[in-house]
Amino acid sequence: MEIPYIFTPRKDTGMVNSKIAIWLFLASEVMLFGGFFSSYVYLRLGADYPWPERALPVLPGLINTFVLIFSSVTVVFAWAGLKLRKWRMFQVSMGITIACAAVFMVLKAIEYNVKWHHQAVRLKDYTILEGHLDYDKKANTGEVTKDGKPVFAEADQIHVATESLTFNTLRFHKPWVEELLRQAGSNGAKVELAEELSIQGEKIPAGTPLSVDLLTKIQKNHIQSRTNNSDVRTEALRAEWIATYAKPENADKKGWELAPGVNIDVAKIKDQLMLETPSVTFAVKPTTNFWFYHRDVKEGATQSRLRDDTVLNGKLLDSPVAFHNLDAIDFRHVVMKAEEKGIDPVVAIENTWLIKNSKEAREAWEWNKAQTAKLEQQLLEKHGKDENGVAKRVPTATERYRIGWKDFIAKADGVDRGKEEIHVSEEFMGPNYKLREPKHTFPHLKVPRDLVFLSGKFTPAWNTYYAIYFTMTFLHGLHVVGGAVVLGYYLFCGKKMYQSNPEWLANRVEVGGLFWHFVDLVWIFLFPILYLM
Amino acid sequence: MSAHAATADHSHHDDHGHHHEPGFLQKYVFSTDHKTIGIQYGITAMLFLLFGFYLMMVMRWSIAYPHEPLPGWMSWVFTDTWKARWLSDGKVTGDTYNMFGAMHGTIMVFLGVVPLGFGAFGNYVTPLQIGAVDMAFPKLNMLSYWIYLVGGLVMCASFFMESGAAKSGWTNYSPLAGFADGQIVNQWLAGQTQWLLGLVLLITSSLLGSVNFITTIINLRARGMTWMRLPFFVWAMLVTGFLLLLAFPPLEAAGIMQLADRVFHSSFFMPSGLFTKSEGLVELSGGGSPLLFQHLFWFLGHPEVYVLLLPAIACVAEIIPANTRRPLWGYKSMVYGVIVLGFLSFIVWAHHMYLTGMGPKISTWFQITTVLISVPSVILLTALMISLWGGSIRFTPAMTWACAFIPMFGIGGLTGLPLAFNLVDLHLHDTYYVIGHFHYVVAPGILFGLFAGVHHWYPKITGRYMSKTLNHMHFWPTLICMNFLFFPMLVQGMAGFHRRWYNGGDAYLAKAADSTNVFGQTVAQHIDLNITMSWAAWIMAAFQIPFIVNVFLSLFAGKKVGSDNPWNATTLEWATPTPPGHGNFTFDVATYRGPYEYSQPGAEKDYLPQWEKPATTAPADAPTQAPAAH
Repeated sequence: MEIPYIFTPRKDTGMVNSKIAIWLFLASEVMLFGGFFSSYVYLRLGADYPWPERALPVLPGLINTFVLIFSSVTVVFAWAGLKLRKWRMFQVSMGITIACAAVFMVLKAIEYNVKWHHQAVRLKDYTILEGHLDYDKKANTGEVTKDGKPVFAEADQIHVATESLTFNTLRFHKPWVEELLRQAGSNGAKVELAEELSIQGEKIPAGTPLSVDLLTKIQKNHIQSRTNNSDVRTEALRAEWIATYAKPENADKKGWELAPGVNIDVAKIKDQLMLETPSVTFAVKPTTNFWFYHRDVKEGATQSRLRDDTVLNGKLLDSPVAFHNLDAIDFRHVVMKAEEKGIDPVVAIENTWLIKNSKEAREAWEWNKAQTAKLEQQLLEKHGKDENGVAKRVPTATERYRIGWKDFIAKADGVDRGKEEIHVSEEFMGPNYKLREPKHTFPHLKVPRDLVFLSGKFTPAWNTYYAIYFTMTFLHGLHVVGGAVVLGYYLFCGKKMYQSNPEWLANRVEVGGLFWHFVDLVWIFLFPILYLM
Repeated sequence: MSAHAATADHSHHDDHGHHHEPGFLQKYVFSTDHKTIGIQYGITAMLFLLFGFYLMMVMRWSIAYPHEPLPGWMSWVFTDTWKARWLSDGKVTGDTYNMFGAMHGTIMVFLGVVPLGFGAFGNYVTPLQIGAVDMAFPKLNMLSYWIYLVGGLVMCASFFMESGAAKSGWTNYSPLAGFADGQIVNQWLAGQTQWLLGLVLLITSSLLGSVNFITTIINLRARGMTWMRLPFFVWAMLVTGFLLLLAFPPLEAAGIMQLADRVFHSSFFMPSGLFTKSEGLVELSGGGSPLLFQHLFWFLGHPEVYVLLLPAIACVAEIIPANTRRPLWGYKSMVYGVIVLGFLSFIVWAHHMYLTGMGPKISTWFQITTVLISVPSVILLTALMISLWGGSIRFTPAMTWACAFIPMFGIGGLTGLPLAFNLVDLHLHDTYYVIGHFHYVVAPGILFGLFAGVHHWYPKITGRYMSKTLNHMHFWPTLICMNFLFFPMLVQGMAGFHRRWYNGGDAYLAKAADSTNVFGQTVAQHIDLNITMSWAAWIMAAFQIPFIVNVFLSLFAGKKVGSDNPWNATTLEWATPTPPGHGNFTFDVATYRGPYEYSQPGAEKDYLPQWEKPATTAPADAPTQAPAAH
């Protein structure tokens, strides 16, 4: 049995099977990316925060655009090579295509990596701070690594001076229990069972040290007791219902009429019930500082709760977000909120916690104001006013209200905005802190935890722009990798196919090339909407 | 090197015209033959349907008897630990009800009906009807089945996880679905996340399937099989393929974004200032839109309705002509109707979202398109109905189901009309009326069509007929129970019963005593219907047993077919040996006429199969035979 039209096109449709299939597949892909592009439009139009414009480094994106366009040309040469039966031409062109894919992915990886290591914080007054975090030495709990070096908590953690821990026996997360034990161990603290516990006749004395095994044992007991009790109670309730329905006066009544009168008689089944242990408390001696990543903790003044329902009983310690290098300050969100309320933006900015409490931030803001005024003057001189006496061009909101890392460099170098010298690596990787250190370009800053609304790296969690940026470019990246793998297969394993039937390989490469063009086309749309607009 | 040797060996066999005998695994499990894959799809889908049905029975207990422990005959499936975790004193809890409700919908739609209609019937019948040796991409076809199976298992595995399975309804609306199971530390292991992973796999599977189907239909038609000679079944599959191809990707986009919301804490569908009872002000960036999810979901969701429907209507359209011995009435209008239907189904989605306050202009547009789409639907149904007119009907088992399909689907369709209108929908939205409406479409409508299909093609697949007696034991009780199950829903819905009450409205009864609370009294008047409906559901479950017995028993004890064409039908699948071997046809297939030439004037027999060469086209035979035939 042989499937027809694999090598030679069917006469009335003029196509081989794989060509129909790839066009259908591409139609489906158009709908997939169409869904994402529509979502982009929807999210951007509906955004209730200043949409980041030109927030990404343009240079690597631009290079990637040309790399992909170039590879689309070489993939056609590869196909032509096969059609001309020039194996060498195919090999070289296809090799270049795949090399281009590699260059594209490397640049992409650098871009992602920079984002994932760059901190962003949104304060409750909508000020946005960007930069690199400190490893806060004061918050360090005195732990040491195996080599005797001190372990520092990254300065975006919640610290709790814990007196006791209460675990939810069903939901405790093993790695976190281990982490608690590790932190306790390196502080020389003991975590011991607070009260004697009796499980199925066996007594576990108070003072038994915490271990995952112990918790698992208690968990097992709890599940057994719960299962037993559930059975007993179900049977009791069922018996109650049977008895209720059996009464002659209830003959015409419906279940919902009788329900209020049907209850389990707990006294009757008391002996059959087993003790459940839904939670268990361990004392921490002496009181010890535990720290967890802030997203995993719901902090409270005297009681903080981990996401697995483990309660840390004790005082919440000072857990600031400490910037070692604050490389951008963004007031656009402050301004947006102020304008909604009809407040003068400059007044709103100057009333923020940041401007009131940080000398360096205030200086940067004053510098930025002066630069904006200068720019306004220049624009007025260059473009003039319209017939209503309004300046034809004015500085943008970004120029007015955002102090970016390049601005900090310009300020430290004592030059006007836009005149700063940027090292070429900085165009790809963002500011080079070591290079800028001598001039103290970027301020240090400690933000109290209770002022922070949201803090994290530049990940999809930061805002919907980064969410759609990562999702779309990641998906596109997957397509690049997938396409390169398929084309690479033809390059490295296609020789046999070529020898047996060159037209076969040519068909395959044509289909792969169509896909490759599509991947290129998607990027042509992605680049402007994510990098330029 | 051994692989090379095996290949060489294989080709050596082929060269000499021997058939390489595949092993058991290759023949029945990892088969690339479209017929085996179709059967695999069919069995898997029916098992999922059974499971979905079971979930519904538990839910119906909670609705009818919310205060009473689940009876032993229903709860024996669960382990004791599971019962302790998910039942409260043996009663179904709200969480458990939500979980079963969400999974009932998901399983029935994505894992049951679509794979049965499109995956099973489509796979088995389509290549046969167009005279192809197999699908265009047999390996892709196999991959499609396995991805579907894995996706389904991933979804269902979550029943046994700490979080339980998804609980946010089959529509999975954010922000609820973005938060659900938030207490699970490793979000990849939460039921709600597994649902999304399963969904992405299912979409991948249906993408591969639809590409394969469309390519096959376009490129692998036999000689003479022109577009207007395609059986209606194939047309319906072609349109279904396009719906799957183009409507699913936006849901995949939504699924990926919701996955990001859950796992990477993005805010695609999370608005600013979200406040929950358990978490307070939620620590998320916000700025997203829950409405965006609804748009993306229903952009798939509506075409999906036709993905469910078209295979069923396709089966019925094959069965009716074969059993009335008349051509399908209005074949061409049905073909054009189904194409228009497919097209229109892409621009009606927001009629599921009238309650979101989209404004009069947009809702008017969607009202118009929604009412428009009833035109091709009615064309299809009317054509089927008129096809019965004046036919000499044979009430074969398949025909009984096909005949019941028409009025039952008709009720489903007509009860949908009021929902098309914004003003009426505002009242009926999210009530049991909606549930009644779409269950009339899906259960006694689509499932009846698919049951018909099982009976119709069973003799081709196995070489034996299914039992008529067992079919009567299955058919009549099912037909009656269906109506007792779904008609009261329409009544309750108009009285305002909400679709997600886990206790069937019981919570409102206390308020009925308060004479000023009119709604409580309305609930009291209609709450007893819950019991009627629940018993109808359970009795119906019992009467599915004859069907299951019939399917398995007939394999061994069914009456053997007398020929390869037991129904004296005209389409190409009946030209194959019974059951068809690998490669399907034993002769060089060619098509000479349209698909439904029954009772043609002047013909010797009452059917002219598509593959039979007409005498007139062979001039050599003309003097002896042609004058008699025409």
